[in-house]
Amino acid sequence: MIALGLEGSANKLGVGLILHPPKGGPAQILANIRHTFISPPGEGFLPKDTAKHHRAWVVRLVKQAMKEANVSVDDVNCICYTKGPGMGAPLQSVAVAARMLSLLWGKELVGVNHCVGHIEMGREITGAQNPVVLYVSGGNTQVIAYASQRYRIFGEALDIAVGNCLDRFARTLNISNDPAPGYNIEQMAKKGKNLLDLPYAVKGMDCSFSGILATVDSLAAKLEQDTTGCRDETTGEIITHEDLCFSLQETVFAMLVEITERAMAHVGSSQVLIVGGVGCNERLQEMMGMMASARGGSVFATDERFCIDNGIMIAHAGLLAYRTGFTTSLEESTCTQRFRTDEVLVKWRD
Amino acid sequence: MSASVFSPPHLPPPFVNTVPPPTLISQGAEALLYRTHFLQSTHPCALKYRPSKPYRHPTLDARLTKHRILSEARTMVRMRKEGLKVPGVLGVDCEPAHGDNARKGGGGWMMMEWVEGQTAKDLLVAVKETRKSCGREEVLREQVRNLMHRIGTILCKMHEIGVIHGDLTTSNLMIRHGAQQPHGITDGHAEGHGRANNTSGIETEPILREALVNGEVVLIDFGLATSSIQDEDKAVDLYVLERAFGSTHPEAEDEFNEVLKAYGESSRGARVVLKRLEDVRLRGRKKSMIG
Amino acid sequence: MALIQTLSLAHLPPSLAVHVALYQEVTNASFLQQQLLLGNSDFEYAFIDASVILSPNHLLAAVFRAVNDSDNGRLKSRNVHSEIVFALSPNNNIATSFRTFGILPTTRSLLVVKISTNPSITASSISQHLSATIEGTAIEFSKDNISKFTDIKKVKKIYKIGNKTDVQERKNRGSEKGTVVGELDDKKEMEVVILGMMALRGQT
Repeated sequence: MIALGLEGSANKLGVGLILHPPKGGPAQILANIRHTFISPPGEGFLPKDTAKHHRAWVVRLVKQAMKEANVSVDDVNCICYTKGPGMGAPLQSVAVAARMLSLLWGKELVGVNHCVGHIEMGREITGAQNPVVLYVSGGNTQVIAYASQRYRIFGEALDIAVGNCLDRFARTLNISNDPAPGYNIEQMAKKGKNLLDLPYAVKGMDCSFSGILATVDSLAAKLEQDTTGCRDETTGEIITHEDLCFSLQETVFAMLVEITERAMAHVGSSQVLIVGGVGCNERLQEMMGMMASARGGSVFATDERFCIDNGIMIAHAGLLAYRTGFTTSLEESTCTQRFRTDEVLVKWRD
Repeated sequence: MSASVFSPPHLPPPFVNTVPPPTLISQGAEALLYRTHFLQSTHPCALKYRPSKPYRHPTLDARLTKHRILSEARTMVRMRKEGLKVPGVLGVDCEPAHGDNARKGGGGWMMMEWVEGQTAKDLLVAVKETRKSCGREEVLREQVRNLMHRIGTILCKMHEIGVIHGDLTTSNLMIRHGAQQPHGITDGHAEGHGRANNTSGIETEPILREALVNGEVVLIDFGLATSSIQDEDKAVDLYVLERAFGSTHPEAEDEFNEVLKAYGESSRGARVVLKRLEDVRLRGRKKSMIG
Repeated sequence: MALIQTLSLAHLPPSLAVHVALYQEVTNASFLQQQLLLGNSDFEYAFIDASVILSPNHLLAAVFRAVNDSDNGRLKSRNVHSEIVFALSPNNNIATSFRTFGILPTTRSLLVVKISTNPSITASSISQHLSATIEGTAIEFSKDNISKFTDIKKVKKIYKIGNKTDVQERKNRGSEKGTVVGELDDKKEMEVVILGMMALRGQT
């Protein structure tokens, strides 16, 4: 069976085609393409502009994907689209495109939870059986474990998402949003060496990032004002933007690894899967690996093709649901900004 | 679930000299709990060791370890001073070493009094087993209510002095053996690791009665404790216990009400907290999120 | 001859013996204190006024902390012996701790602690030196003897132990039930609280 997946909950428009072999076995990726709306440095992506971007590109991307996959309309079994969570306007643009294709081709629709898409794709690619999942992106920060047909949220960010924290700090420093603000922060962090004191906000398995962002923002402002240079209290070295990026990453990633470890201890799992855009970060992967190996386990992560929002994960999770008989009628093919991971009945797992 | 090989980290000095070596009781995400002895081998104590986390930047690691050990120890000492039943703190080490031991790395420890007894969780599990066989269910229920009452009272006292436990479960409530308690009935372990006894219902009934009616309630594990006098924080603290109780001891949910009843009667401000608890229940802890 | 008791505290290396002696009716406290103030290296002892010590455990917990701090290169005072006196303190002022817990000209009952920091320090070498210098009566270092000298009121004041402790309440409860809650319980509770305060001293 083949599914077409459309994703556009944030600034990436993704289209993917996946094949689930009839006799089982690993899924085959027939096409997985993406076009990203990049805002100028110092600016975030606005819903209106992002939606416009998605509308302008969706037809081109679907055509290109069908061509790359070398499939015809008849081969496609269902059209999967992101129902939420995400930004309203971009979600709507893509939902409209999905409905249009459904009517045009006479195919069933499958509305997919974005977070579940990430989790299922991560499991498929890495082969992780029953991992604790850390889902970290611009819009989400969740520690998730599976239990009786639900992906249950054990911990989450109580205010802004970790990716949002990183993105907004990139704006503060006027760092380029190309290819992604988080990527550029990661590169700068590699050159940082002085660790500055930032708040560390973990409460049980939850955490919060807005206080950290406010502190690092004000440190950046101080650096800006003080032309003679601020010096680190212990090393006496001049504090750089690289040090700020380094300190921010070290602090927020330590928090993420900690809440993940707590969830692992709680459910007795030694596997951890990182999904979502921030999951591309090599330092986060490295830290998580150190934690997991100390627990006698291992970390599973994917590269940017799957970590960053994409259409293939929507196609994959949608097809899993479709195969259990799940479809979304035209009347119900809405989208929603709020859609919790644990609302989805995971019928395709035991 | 695949069985993972989790080899606990080596204990730091001075416990490298300890004879016999401390026995590992439980391992959480951040801390390992050992049974050992204090200054003489006849004086049992619990050792909570927070190893250094290699994934963290060493500066951050030292800062966090120190902060957590100290905040836990401070809370416990403060509570004990205020007359609340918690294990006494016997020793603390959370400073980085200098000189010859400097290579011992980060991490820190706290020694505390050993609580001889069993967890409320194990006790309630034993009650559940006994209930089936003894045929005196109502008597047992009444005894459980008696225990719940004492739990409610101590929780109210804790909140009154501004301590929020942060992780209330029946595993974090120890029931200390009474003075008349015969020894060797249960293998009590601090920090939620007592083992329930397996003797048959008729025999265990008097023993259960003793623990349920006279056992002293001791609060343990203040690793997530905070200071607050806000009704909201107190209500959430109770809500966490209520949820944990409901999922662990569904058969005793009725008796749990006695905790809240006693809580409400124990101080003037407690009723407001219970009112707030109703709101917390309705809203649940988790917000609906924006994608 | 002095009555030296040699102990080895759990967790500390066995080679690191702890020697303790207890004296009553000491008449030359002034001279002994003077030797400390002068820094006379022959008098490297922890001289402690026994009236502020609640129990052997109280003293030994201070010894344990001082030795552990010494092992970890964290001494705040001159040596491990002065550190034992400091380790008894609930606050971070070294000079005050010496005045509160250390020997004073008025000291009549005296506890002496010496750590075998090198192999030449033995019970007999210490015994000889103490017998020759301390004017007083050596008695056994025991729980009972220690409690004979304890000034409970003073100890409570030093550690700011008020009436809030459960001791009071338990007494009330005890009298209700008609059982006797003895001094033993009271002291044990005090000891636990004191040990906690000592453990937290200087930890910021």
